[in-house]
Amino acid sequence: MTLDFIISLLGGTLRTSTPILLAALGQIYTQKSGILDLSVEGTMTVSCLAAFVAAFYSQSLFIGMLVAVVVGLMYSALMAFLCITIKANQVIAGTALTMLGTGLASFMYRVIFGIRELPPVIKSCQNLDFGFLSRIPIIGPILFTHNITIYIALGLVVVTWFVMNKTVFGLEVHAVGEYPRAADSKGIKVSVIRYASVLLGGMYSGLAGASMSLGFMNTYTDHMIAGRGFIAIAVVVFARWSPVKALGAALLFGGANTLQMRMQSIGVDIPNQLLQALPYILTVIVLLGVSKHVNFPAAFGVPYSRKDN
Amino acid sequence: MGEAILQMKGISKFFGDMAANDNVNFSLEKGTVHGLLGENGAGKTTLMNVLFGLLKPDGGTIFIEGNPVTIHSPAQAMELGIGMVHQHFMLVPTMTVTENVMLGLHLPKFPLLNPSLVKQRINELSQQFALDVDPDALISQLSVGQQQRVEIITALYHETTILILDEPTAVLTPDEAKELFVILRTLKAHGTSVVLISHKLEEIIAIADEVTVLRNGELVGFTKIDKEVTRKEDLSAMMVGREVSFDFKKQKGTSMHEVLSVRELCVNNERGVQALDHMTFTVRRGEILAIAGVDGNGQKELCEVLTGLRQPGSGAITLNGNDITQASPKQINELNVAYVPEDRQKSGLIMDWDISKNLVLKNFRKKPFTKGLFLSKKEMDEAAEQAVEAFKIKTDQVSTLVKNLSGGNQQKVILARELATDPDLLIVSHPTRGLDIGAMEYVRSILIAKRNAGVGVLLVSADLEEIFQTADRILVIYNGRVMGIVNPDVGIQKVGQMMAGITTGEAHA
Amino acid sequence: MRNLVIKQARLGIQNLLPSLISVLLACVVTTFILLLGGYSPVAAFTNLFAGAFGNPYRLSETFVKAIPIAVIALGTSVAFRAQLWNIGGNSQYTVGAIVAVAVNIYLDLPPLLLFLLSFLAALLAGLLFGSLLGLMKAKLNANEVITTLMFDYIVAFLLSWLVYGPMMDPEGGGFPQTALIPDAVMFHKLLAGTRLHTGLFVALVLVILLYLFWKTPQGLTINMVGHSKSVAKASGINVSKTIVFTMALSAAFAALAGWIDALGIHGRLQDNLPGTLGSVAIVVALLGRLHPIGIAFSAIFFSALMVGGNTMQRFAGIPFSLVTIIQGLVIIFVICGSVFEIAHSRKQGGSHDA
Repeated sequence: MTLDFIISLLGGTLRTSTPILLAALGQIYTQKSGILDLSVEGTMTVSCLAAFVAAFYSQSLFIGMLVAVVVGLMYSALMAFLCITIKANQVIAGTALTMLGTGLASFMYRVIFGIRELPPVIKSCQNLDFGFLSRIPIIGPILFTHNITIYIALGLVVVTWFVMNKTVFGLEVHAVGEYPRAADSKGIKVSVIRYASVLLGGMYSGLAGASMSLGFMNTYTDHMIAGRGFIAIAVVVFARWSPVKALGAALLFGGANTLQMRMQSIGVDIPNQLLQALPYILTVIVLLGVSKHVNFPAAFGVPYSRKDN
Repeated sequence: MGEAILQMKGISKFFGDMAANDNVNFSLEKGTVHGLLGENGAGKTTLMNVLFGLLKPDGGTIFIEGNPVTIHSPAQAMELGIGMVHQHFMLVPTMTVTENVMLGLHLPKFPLLNPSLVKQRINELSQQFALDVDPDALISQLSVGQQQRVEIITALYHETTILILDEPTAVLTPDEAKELFVILRTLKAHGTSVVLISHKLEEIIAIADEVTVLRNGELVGFTKIDKEVTRKEDLSAMMVGREVSFDFKKQKGTSMHEVLSVRELCVNNERGVQALDHMTFTVRRGEILAIAGVDGNGQKELCEVLTGLRQPGSGAITLNGNDITQASPKQINELNVAYVPEDRQKSGLIMDWDISKNLVLKNFRKKPFTKGLFLSKKEMDEAAEQAVEAFKIKTDQVSTLVKNLSGGNQQKVILARELATDPDLLIVSHPTRGLDIGAMEYVRSILIAKRNAGVGVLLVSADLEEIFQTADRILVIYNGRVMGIVNPDVGIQKVGQMMAGITTGEAHA
Repeated sequence: MRNLVIKQARLGIQNLLPSLISVLLACVVTTFILLLGGYSPVAAFTNLFAGAFGNPYRLSETFVKAIPIAVIALGTSVAFRAQLWNIGGNSQYTVGAIVAVAVNIYLDLPPLLLFLLSFLAALLAGLLFGSLLGLMKAKLNANEVITTLMFDYIVAFLLSWLVYGPMMDPEGGGFPQTALIPDAVMFHKLLAGTRLHTGLFVALVLVILLYLFWKTPQGLTINMVGHSKSVAKASGINVSKTIVFTMALSAAFAALAGWIDALGIHGRLQDNLPGTLGSVAIVVALLGRLHPIGIAFSAIFFSALMVGGNTMQRFAGIPFSLVTIIQGLVIIFVICGSVFEIAHSRKQGGSHDA
């Protein structure tokens, strides 16, 4: 293994981790507030398409991302409505919305672009120019040769940490997930905080979707999200709802995937399916390792009603 | 005094057909402690939940300092200067004191937390009212009494002028209760008005200036308290509406045959803290042994260990000579032990199932309820019909879902199930909590009847009246230790002291 | 998770109604989506219907597809009744298929023996796989939603590896598939010229067996654990054991579905064998209200949608993804419907303690 290989592996890891990280950061709010949102996968798929369509027609990546965030917000509002207002079972609601989302995205893509010989493409996010920074040996090519989505994700790690730990909202999210009745008795509107958390999660998922079609690729295909939404959920549990640890966890998952691709490309004789399965196996192992000790938010998965005692 | 800071006029609140509050009036004067007295289910908490914006009244008006207000939410109540210390503390256990106080402060036009400022104010309040609260402590590490003071500080922080305390002494030892009363007097001196929800006559007379009495959701009395003049008996008569019968006719227990024997039992709770500390006692055939104690002194763990739901740390438990120290709930069940759990809705019944199925939860695998491979609905229903009749369960049919029964009838379903197998040992935990008086007496009479029939009964209760009505011997538990085992004739005072952990070297009975 | 929104109801007209309304509402919304996309709803629905029921062949295809969907959904319903959210029908189906094919292509035994042996192997594989998932939940407290989901991917990659690697047919010209199961072992065809096979009867037997199972004490135990773990525990039920058993049973159904399909239609392993069967099974189980007979009917309905969806795509040019949309919408309306029902029943006869 050469140094070049390792540099390209680490750089690639950062790129592949980005969509997972973005979605996972959003799910920190959602899960902390007591909601397991399996619709992330669907939300990401829908926003992935929305970002692409908007960017395709507006020729603006910024508008693409903006639209993705708005669509992510709107789509997760469905989840919020089902789980908070209707108090539906979160697993079922999430599964339903993921199905609906993948169906809708695929359907709308066909409606908008029809059947083409060559798939429509956009000019995707270009790598930012950091001048001399990117020319620093080793560190430069690993850290400073990426497109904007990677830096947005890294920035959001800090933002999410700050919101969760230093703001009134973060404190209220914590209380609502831990002991909603107490929050209610202190005049905090449990459903408002939970709505906000799910919607925030949806906006992050929107960005995550956009990072796939506008940053990672330059087009949209069905099955592009390929379980990244679900991995994000596992990442959050692994990271014990800490944004900083989520960065580490996302890099781990992204790294496994990148390693698989790199080793395949240099022809290492390891069956690529097993390498591809690696992140998923890792998720299970991690889950088994931590579940016994991890304290899920006490009200995780439980709808809140004032009447129930 | 003399100026009403709060008036509630004609408050009504219905749950289905049942009136929890029926045209209730309540008036609180500034700088006083006002007792709100009534039995369980009399509507005290409902009235205060209406005031605090947790429940929407079906009728009536609230006046604060003479102005009519409608209170839609706790947030609004707090803006009006109303604070509430709930029976179950509304504190997030995974947060610090400061964080809990910061919750719901509603100050922030600026959405950032400012812990140092809050901490400083907590320290000030803590000193001013002698509350002794550490702002950096994690709630889960505080004692119950300390947590209550955190609740009071939170209320003070919100500049509360009307403080509602819901059964504040229910979870406290007598000493802690005394400390609380000192705090309440300090609050009063600072002009805070206090509503004290309680069903304990002594404490109302000790601390309150006025008292309002509710019964079955209706206002039945209001009086000023004069420590010299006001008699417990008068308040009691108002509250209960009739003489409490203290005399259940009991046959003298004669058997010396031990059903249950517990030796040097030690148990840890979920957090790994010792909950039971070398407990030793026996339950004999045909007696009721009461475990008396303030909630949270190891009673829950004791019941769980005895029924196999929790692993003991060390010690030995024998049942009719069989060692059951490591036995599973199923094995213990098969050794004729019946158990009526404390939380009947969560651990005793499946609320979405009908009466007949709930009656066979423990023996549906056996004949006649299972014939060959399959369950027999016919047999279950027939058995249920009999149980409904025998235990006077009020229902039209055995297919009624238990969630649609009243608390008393739910408890009867559990009793019917547990007693169906002629147990040798009956463990009951707070069997009458939250029941109306009729159901309460019925349940107690069943305990006595079973005792007279030779069953060994272990009664866990915090209700001294219940204990003195029924028990042959009283084991007082404090901090997971046996404070002593006494005969009821030592008197309530004595047992009360022991419950507070005061040792006097009492000989075993 | 505490609240099970689905009520496990006896089947009767009044209980059938919510499911029918859910389907109807899903169709209404789908109509709007079609109009939005510039497609003719009439064309879509007539093609869907004709595609599923239009001629004997299509009708037979509807039943062919309904078999695995129904059997996986039976398994899903077992887990859901215990409030275990096993959403990994695909992986469990695949495991059954892999084992079934492996037995048939690697062992040289008389056909009848191969048939029985592959059945037992698939059953055992399902039970073991399910027990493993159950143990993870019961002993290590691993969220079953996440584990079953991850195993869907892991097993899919395993299948892919097998058909590209060790199990690839040496005489198959490099196609990613295994050799064929001997014809004599396969389920017989029921109708000439169709793919409908005698596996249909196996599925029917499984429906009846599960129906009867719910009337046994063990069935009641699973329901009890689903309703209240603490009551179950206090009643002397070993909750951990029940969780493991439930997951094992649940996975066994899906594995048997894999076995039926392997010996009924596929005859070999190929990449991406289960497609979307697993998630469709969730919809079917919910629409069938976790009742075996309800599941049988809703399986036929969804199978018809899928078979019809192919025709619709081919002849009316309307994308197949419309079917996925309908599936998602149906669950959403089932959810909303059951909430409405609960609210309704509360209004009718609830009493509260003050």
